[in-house]
Amino acid sequence: MASYIESFRFGEFIGSVLWLVFWILIIFSLVGLPLLFIVLFYVPLPPLGDEPLTPYLFLTMIVDPTRTIPIIKYMIHTDLFRVAAFPGFTYAALFAAVTIFVERKFLAKMQLRYGPLYVGKIEGWLQLAADGLKLISKEIIVPAAADKPIFWAAPIAFVSVAAAAAALIPVAPGWVVADIDVGIIAVFAIFGFFPLIALLFSWASNSKYPFIGGLRALHQIIAFEIPFIISALSVVILAGTLNLTGIVESQIASYWFVFFLPISAFVFYLSSLAELERIPFDLPEAESEIVAGWITETSGMIYGLIQLGTYLKLYALAALFVVLFLGGWSGPIIFPQEIIPGYTGEKIYNPVTLSAIFWFTIKTFGVIMLMLLPRGISPRIRIDILLHTGWYKLIVLSFINMFVALALIYGGILGPEGLLVR
Amino acid sequence: MVDPIFVGLAVLTVGSAIVALDTKELIYGAIGLAISMLGIAGFFLLLDAPFVAMFQIAVYVGAVAVLIIFAVMLVRTQALFTVREDKGRKAAGIILMLFIMGGLGATLLISGLNTPGSFTAPPVDIMAIGQEMLTYYSPTLIVMGLVLAGAVIAALALARREDVEQKDERAS
Repeated sequence: MASYIESFRFGEFIGSVLWLVFWILIIFSLVGLPLLFIVLFYVPLPPLGDEPLTPYLFLTMIVDPTRTIPIIKYMIHTDLFRVAAFPGFTYAALFAAVTIFVERKFLAKMQLRYGPLYVGKIEGWLQLAADGLKLISKEIIVPAAADKPIFWAAPIAFVSVAAAAAALIPVAPGWVVADIDVGIIAVFAIFGFFPLIALLFSWASNSKYPFIGGLRALHQIIAFEIPFIISALSVVILAGTLNLTGIVESQIASYWFVFFLPISAFVFYLSSLAELERIPFDLPEAESEIVAGWITETSGMIYGLIQLGTYLKLYALAALFVVLFLGGWSGPIIFPQEIIPGYTGEKIYNPVTLSAIFWFTIKTFGVIMLMLLPRGISPRIRIDILLHTGWYKLIVLSFINMFVALALIYGGILGPEGLLVR
Repeated sequence: MVDPIFVGLAVLTVGSAIVALDTKELIYGAIGLAISMLGIAGFFLLLDAPFVAMFQIAVYVGAVAVLIIFAVMLVRTQALFTVREDKGRKAAGIILMLFIMGGLGATLLISGLNTPGSFTAPPVDIMAIGQEMLTYYSPTLIVMGLVLAGAVIAALALARREDVEQKDERAS
């Protein structure tokens, strides 16, 4: 039933909107309100915080919004909120979205181009939403000779593994999804899945270029995994713990580890570029050599999921760099002690946590910009030079700072009761 | 009382192990092996040994499974294996497996490990293990390091190919 209005009249438009509002009000008062009251009075509601949520309390909340503060306070301390919203998926995905936009504008400005310009009028800030809609509405084409179960499972596994890595990052004191004792080893164990997924997906595509890309990804990531782990081990020696929160706290107690271990930080930065398959190490996706590498056969939302996973991984690695070398959330408290002076009710405003989140976000964003920078200025390097760099140079370099860390511990400068420990 | 997580992990581990053995496609067998190893890592997590669990994932899933899958992808399987379906062999395998499982189970039941209260020891502290290893057991650590270094050198010696190197030198 395709039809369109030939003569548009503003009055009719307003009339149709009012008609819609009228019907919504009628249906809400006849069906919605009775349903709401049935639910409120007959279904036992869960206790929230200290007091049980009764229908009367609910109705007073609608009148007086400040009464909802204990409920909000209870909600933001549940596990679901942590996993889904703040230190978990939504925070990381927002980071990914902002990173994609900033990357495009930033690289364009570096190369004297405009970048996204039209969607959303102001500097094309809605380009990402438009791209997302396009990807969702596109058809997913699975190659006829592809191995279908692996082809469908690999992108989902990619996103979930990247989200699992992001879940281990502590954002503020106590604000971490999974605070485990062996945090840093868990991060490395999770990052070990990525070459497996890339290899399986490239094999399942059953095509030449993806398979070459997958083999390259495998070689590259395994070559850089060893300097990646060893450069983080010197941090573990200085901090004396494997827990990521503990590492941040030991940096707050002394100084940022990047001052003691600059070579480790450099090796970690290079290895994370290689893990992320970013220029100058984007050989698995080298578009001028092997079409698009291991993601050649992706289309529609499969491509979208792999891109989302890639940027979640970028966030996780940048945040890990901040946690290991830049002191995590350490920084001065910049928010005022209370927003409304003289307010003595239930409080959900905490200046310490807010400034911790602020500093962590700023630092992580800075590291992400540093990781985007080589894409604008550097060409791709050859695969044999890459493997030579990984196996011969970076491993040796990462060992240097391990000895520095041992000297600092045994010289009594850092570590328990060290000279520089405040 | 049966722990549902334990049952789920057991089903996952044993099921994917059966898939790894029984599937016709080698690549699915390799994936089944990787999932089975993940299940074992889950058991280590249940047993309060996260350190071992993480290394199980990093080494067995991240390295061994990748190696196996890589090898399987490069092998033309039809040329290597001919499927021989034999009911007698299958029955013999199942009976042998039941025999071994029964023996192991009986040994565990007799050994007194199943009496309640035999697991009151606190979870093992990794820091304590590290300290013991560097002080009292340091000769063991040195011997282990030497063995590993010997293995690495032997692997390098085996992987070295004289003919390729000589060709490269002549070319350069």
